[in-house]
Amino acid sequence: MSAPRPLHVRFFAVLREQAGCAAVELDSAAPTPAALYAELRRRHALTFPAELLKVAVNERYADMDTPLAAGDRVVFIPPVAGG
Amino acid sequence: MFELTAAPLQPEALRQRLARPDAGALVVFEGRVRNHHLGRPVTKLEYEAFDDLARLEGEAIAGETEELYPGTTVLCVHRTGSLAIGDIAVWIGVASPHRQAGFAACRHVIEEIKRRLPVWKKEHHPDGAAEWVNCTVEAAPADRGYYDRQVALPEIGAAGQVRLAAARVLVVGAGGLGCPAALYLAGAGIGRLTLVDDGRVELSNLHRQVLFTPAEVGAPKAAAAAARLRLHNPHIQVAARPVGLTAANARALVAGHDAVLDCTDNFAARFVVHDACRALDVPLVSAAVHRFEGTLEVFRRGGAGGCLHCQWPGRTAAELDRPDATAPGADGRCAGAAVFGPAVGVLGVMQAAETLKLLLGLDAAAAAQTRLVNLLDGSVVPIARPPRPGCPACAGLDELRTDRPARPDTPVLVEPAAVASLGPAARTVFLIEPGEAPAADAGALAVPAQDLARLRELADAGPLVLSCRHGIRSVALARLLRAEGAAAVYALGDGSVHG
Repeated sequence: MSAPRPLHVRFFAVLREQAGCAAVELDSAAPTPAALYAELRRRHALTFPAELLKVAVNERYADMDTPLAAGDRVVFIPPVAGG
Repeated sequence: MFELTAAPLQPEALRQRLARPDAGALVVFEGRVRNHHLGRPVTKLEYEAFDDLARLEGEAIAGETEELYPGTTVLCVHRTGSLAIGDIAVWIGVASPHRQAGFAACRHVIEEIKRRLPVWKKEHHPDGAAEWVNCTVEAAPADRGYYDRQVALPEIGAAGQVRLAAARVLVVGAGGLGCPAALYLAGAGIGRLTLVDDGRVELSNLHRQVLFTPAEVGAPKAAAAAARLRLHNPHIQVAARPVGLTAANARALVAGHDAVLDCTDNFAARFVVHDACRALDVPLVSAAVHRFEGTLEVFRRGGAGGCLHCQWPGRTAAELDRPDATAPGADGRCAGAAVFGPAVGVLGVMQAAETLKLLLGLDAAAAAQTRLVNLLDGSVVPIARPPRPGCPACAGLDELRTDRPARPDTPVLVEPAAVASLGPAARTVFLIEPGEAPAADAGALAVPAQDLARLRELADAGPLVLSCRHGIRSVALARLLRAEGAAAVYALGDGSVHG
């Protein structure tokens, strides 16, 4: 696991309500979005299951095991309901 | 074009923006807020969007749709904020020369919006309760009931359905075989289907390629087939790879799959996909059709049956694709050949059946047989397919010509002006037919098209540029030689040089 570095996280919809905020700036050593979400779940008492989430890194859909770099903008995306 | 807005939508103004003198059709879809959902009354909706990504994704959906349905213009606007019953949440308009493409494109946009756009809606109920749609636990098993009739089979059951949902299957070729095969695999609930095809839909495909309609003529096949399969079964993931399968990319495409279907139409591709599957130990279900007849084969490393090389000892794809035949359309590929639609339909569905049996552990004899299927007399004849003693492929893949280190793909076609950039060792060869006089370009070496031994020698010696009278055989032969492992073979791009 790498050293902690700054990451920017935004929450939408059900996650925003569970977290009680729309964005979090944090220093994390989480290597991937999957690990980051596990960390955020503990920190913000999120109950939404990880297996139903998608993730965007720097405004692009990405895999939950994409390596994260310092300064990345990470958004966890619950099942969408446009239209 | 895609827009996201917090302001109420003005359909009249939006329609005006799609005015096009050549458009005989304007198809509009309005998604509106309704007063009920899953049996509960709804009083209002709140829409929330991940703005940056929603705009990018919305633009991507509009662009992909215009690519999928050539000639269409797409305008899509999605609301955010608080909406009352009857308000328009999403407006989609498609202008097109003809109605077929307009309807199909409009449908495609809304399906992709629902699937991909990072927008969420919160429903408010009369009792003051509110919830995010699709984010509740009870919304998850949306596929309940879809598979009931196959789960009822003792050979499948709930455990088998879970295996199918966990499976990743690659279909190489979205044509006459690939369309019906993929349709039944999607219906069966294969969790992730990937379609590989670099072709576009042609009118002469439609009599047998059952995933396409006249609206898709001109569309990229892999993407059009994937869109159709998502409509057929919204509970699975379908991915489209609009690339040609080559010796250089075959292993990367095959890796990670539980089964591969060879639905290609030529031996060059057949050997490449077979060798990649064998190298990576992925089961391969292969079919081929000629007019009213077809063959069905399952290849598994370590299985009871022989491999593709056992059947064709010492023969290369180029020879089997018969580039020396002189009949019209007989450059070895069946792109222009005669074919009985139900023959590819039956063989493609049989491929789907063999694939499902493989994944469920139900296969028995298939992996040791070749099945000859004849739609004219209705026969299915099994032929034992034992390994051939001394087959170099079964002994070790290192001896295969197609099993060489991967090289980056370079385009087959090279323009005359770019030939010099291939280096001083590059040779240009003009392919001649039996009885044809060496023509035109005095600088080009004339070689009979069927003299493969000579062409291989030239390909081994350095960069080779093939040219011919119509620019068709040169491309086919360049692809075949590349499939055998010769990387620096090109076809001259400008057919008029020798026309």
